[in-house]
Amino acid sequence: MARSWLVGGLLASMLLAAHPVRAAPREAGAPWYVPDHAALQFAGSIGMLAAGPGWAFLDEQLELEVLVGWAPRAVAGADFVTLTLKGQWHPFHVTHREWSFRPFTVGAAFSYTFGDDYFLTLPDRYVSGYYWFKTALRPALLLGGSAGRPVPSLGLRHLEGYYELVATDYRIVQFLQNPSTVKTGLFTLALGARVRF
Amino acid sequence: MRSWVPCLLLLLCVSCDVFELHPYEIRGGVRDTNARALERLQRNVSGGSFRFAVLGDIGVYQDDSVDAVKDLARRDVDFVVQMGDLTEFSSAQEYDWVAGLLEDASVPALAVIGNHDLLGKGRELYLHRFGPTFLAFEHGGSRFVLFDSNSREYGFPGNVPDLEQLRSALGEAPGGGHLFTFSHVPPGHPDFDGSLTEPLEQLQAEHGVTVSFHGHTHRFSTDARRGVRYFIADSIELHSYLLVTVEGESVAVEQVFF
Repeated sequence: MARSWLVGGLLASMLLAAHPVRAAPREAGAPWYVPDHAALQFAGSIGMLAAGPGWAFLDEQLELEVLVGWAPRAVAGADFVTLTLKGQWHPFHVTHREWSFRPFTVGAAFSYTFGDDYFLTLPDRYVSGYYWFKTALRPALLLGGSAGRPVPSLGLRHLEGYYELVATDYRIVQFLQNPSTVKTGLFTLALGARVRF
Repeated sequence: MRSWVPCLLLLLCVSCDVFELHPYEIRGGVRDTNARALERLQRNVSGGSFRFAVLGDIGVYQDDSVDAVKDLARRDVDFVVQMGDLTEFSSAQEYDWVAGLLEDASVPALAVIGNHDLLGKGRELYLHRFGPTFLAFEHGGSRFVLFDSNSREYGFPGNVPDLEQLRSALGEAPGGGHLFTFSHVPPGHPDFDGSLTEPLEQLQAEHGVTVSFHGHTHRFSTDARRGVRYFIADSIELHSYLLVTVEGESVAVEQVFF
């Protein structure tokens, strides 16, 4: 547990250290590794709150985000610290006055949970293949949409809110096997905000 | 005024479990399913004759377990014990689905813990949703003991299953009644602590256990060891469960299909 806190803290401080770079207006020709946006998310199986930098490609149709998530014991019954890699495709982009909408988003995420209670490779006590999934690494499929606009009063080039329907691996497996039990339980909801630099 | 609307919606959403903070979150939902099943059972006083049912592993076959629980309603059983592997991944949501199903069953329903229920924060989730993993109770003059036999999940520490706890629970049995034990992994299976197989079988024989019930292998089987009958229930997707009829001295275990 102590080690996972250390790693989580280290990642958080790295993200904070990167902040001055990201806060500056994005310059044309900035190196690829400089993030062009940041996201803050509520829920979605990766923590109560998750935050981190993101990179957009192909005229903002493709986005990649790295989020550090946290859920406190007081709310989630145990402390959870996660590191999530999220990839998203926004095929449509509609603008109306200063508003811009991305009505349909499809994506995938891999979320790693820190801690000794979870495994990435099967512990020695099991024969190979004993469990076919990894409790530390959670794949998920995402469906969503977003709406945003510039907020000059806050000095933001673009602020958007988004929602995501999150289908984690265990929900997908149980839904395919047991549609009448799972029903809409295939998805949970995540809400979030993105700021473009 | 309109700014209240999203807040209200958000509150509504939280209460209907639309948000998940983590796959292994331990919050809300059904609590202490086993204890509440026992409360229901105690209102139903039985003489020396009664029936109970034993359901096998559920795992990824929740729709089949719904059918099983429906079928139980027409069998005149006093209660049912599910033999563990309530879930496949130990996730909070799977625990919720299964605890809800057992809670809504027409008869009191209890569950033992299986190896698939112990992954991640699974043990904490079981304690939250179902209660202690060791449970002893009496019904119709017989004694029933549920315990954790998933030795491999703990790395074979030598005290899973806890034979001392089992010994004292079996020792308190009322005179004249039968003794029934329930645990997920059967003794003799590679996932059961090999150093405890003989001691467990010996202990159950000494105390005159009538039947020892198990799951885990997914296939029905039965044998007798040192005078004690051992039964393994089919996993639920095979659409069968065990029906046990106790009439005084006689105990009949029947495999029924639905």
